[in-house]
Amino acid sequence: MSVYSLFYVTPLFWMIMSAFKSNGEIFQDPLGLPKSIDLSVFPRAFKAAMLDKLMINSIITTASSALIILLCASMAAFAFSRLNFKSSKVLLGILTIGLIVPVQSYFIAQNQLVEFFNLKDTRVALILPYAGMGMALAIWLLKAYLDSMPKEVFEAARVDGCGDIQTYFKIVLPLLRSGIATVAVFSILSAWNEFLLAIIYIQREDLKTIPSGLLTFSQKYVTDYQMLFAALTIITIPMVAVYVIFNRQVVAGLTEGSLK
Amino acid sequence: MKPSSRWTPFILVSPALLIFCFIVLVPLTGTLGLSFARWNGFGSPSFAGIENYHRAFTDSVFLKSFRNVGIYILATLFLEVLVGLILAGILSSRINTTVYRVALFVPVMLPMVVVSVLWRFIYNPDFGLINAIVRKLGFESFAQVWLGDPKTALLSICFVSGWVYSGFYLAIFTAGLQRVPRDIIESAQLDGATDSKVFWKIKVPMIRSVSEVSALLCITGGIQGFDLFYVMTGGGPYYTTEVPTTYMVRSVFRDQEIGFGSSLAVLVTFLVLIIGFVFSRIRKSGETSIEY
Repeated sequence: MSVYSLFYVTPLFWMIMSAFKSNGEIFQDPLGLPKSIDLSVFPRAFKAAMLDKLMINSIITTASSALIILLCASMAAFAFSRLNFKSSKVLLGILTIGLIVPVQSYFIAQNQLVEFFNLKDTRVALILPYAGMGMALAIWLLKAYLDSMPKEVFEAARVDGCGDIQTYFKIVLPLLRSGIATVAVFSILSAWNEFLLAIIYIQREDLKTIPSGLLTFSQKYVTDYQMLFAALTIITIPMVAVYVIFNRQVVAGLTEGSLK
Repeated sequence: MKPSSRWTPFILVSPALLIFCFIVLVPLTGTLGLSFARWNGFGSPSFAGIENYHRAFTDSVFLKSFRNVGIYILATLFLEVLVGLILAGILSSRINTTVYRVALFVPVMLPMVVVSVLWRFIYNPDFGLINAIVRKLGFESFAQVWLGDPKTALLSICFVSGWVYSGFYLAIFTAGLQRVPRDIIESAQLDGATDSKVFWKIKVPMIRSVSEVSALLCITGGIQGFDLFYVMTGGGPYYTTEVPTTYMVRSVFRDQEIGFGSSLAVLVTFLVLIIGFVFSRIRKSGETSIEY
């Protein structure tokens, strides 16, 4: 088993090792250890790839879309799970379409819509689609969480004089904490890694997110392998660090999100 | 319970529904509409009837893209789902497996673009990790231009997909295996069943529904494959790694054939819906025939 898991780790280890080797060394001895440890390549790659800009863009895009999803989906989930209203079944049915159809089914006309509203090359062009695409699954999961709770909790709030909106803020949000963590994990990861819409909607270098920016960088510096390995390493290390710290939540979030 | 006022339910659901309609529902119907149009993105579209569909069914590259994605799905069912299941089986009968689980899941959360750029280097014919290892072991003739050779390009991509997602299915199957009651396994062990027998004859049949969901995820996810193909090979060489989505993007954004691209999107959507429907039927019939 330990031999087998080398298969998963070696590529990443090779990537980090190659970031320390000059292009000449990479070609001469791809498997060899670096001759010297020179950290200066990392700031150089960081600047050349404009990683500061890419990271800020990714953080803004991801955080905004995740917040929109969490707020809107938890509100809707509360209404669908606990309140009886006329069109509830129909509206929920419409939402389930979003669970089935992939982005391929609608991105062509969505692109026209984004163009029509003059949103190309703006952050909104990614934030809104990421929020909309994650919405259905988020509502579904959060509704399942609320469905499993005893109805007395919500009725007690009503008896105490809480209106629906007040109940949402005072009762629903605190109760949904673990559900919200799950939804946050997969909303954040899918927005952080999204690529198809990112290359279609954003052409301006200074607005690109990490995936599309990295692609441009790899096309611009095709032969500067050391630099590319360094950029890959800079992107990978913090993600692996965050994952190792939160690995339980991350694994649970991703598997739960896909099993339901 | 009854809403506190007539309007509160709608206040609560409307933000989510509005965003969803604007982002998913309207574009979905719009794409369906565009699939019957002749349009290059400028000027006004004209009605084309079923011309785009007729063209799609006779377009050799589009048909080839389905063959390719079919091969990709078959390969990844083994490299991702089956490997994930076997890994889960091996790890479930051991203790202190956290390190392995953490290590095997790392590729899942990396952006596909990072994975693709990295593996383009690993497959590089001159300094790539794979050829370097092959040469070191003395099999000089096995060194390949992995992604540039029509014979190896598609399978090379499948392999990367396996590297990424087997850890994901490992996690899913592990969650399933933890729900198998301990007493059933213990009584089988008392009867003298070996670990592998317990796994294949008891645990695997008991997590059948998890396996079905995993297969469905692998198949529908495979049809949508894009990032790996776009970054690693761009569909080449000679369309051997062209998949429906890369072809769609090429038709719409490079050739400006928006109507034709939309018809491809509609056909892919139908395929996903049919597969989803068939699976839900299989699952229903499965539930009545096997009981525990």
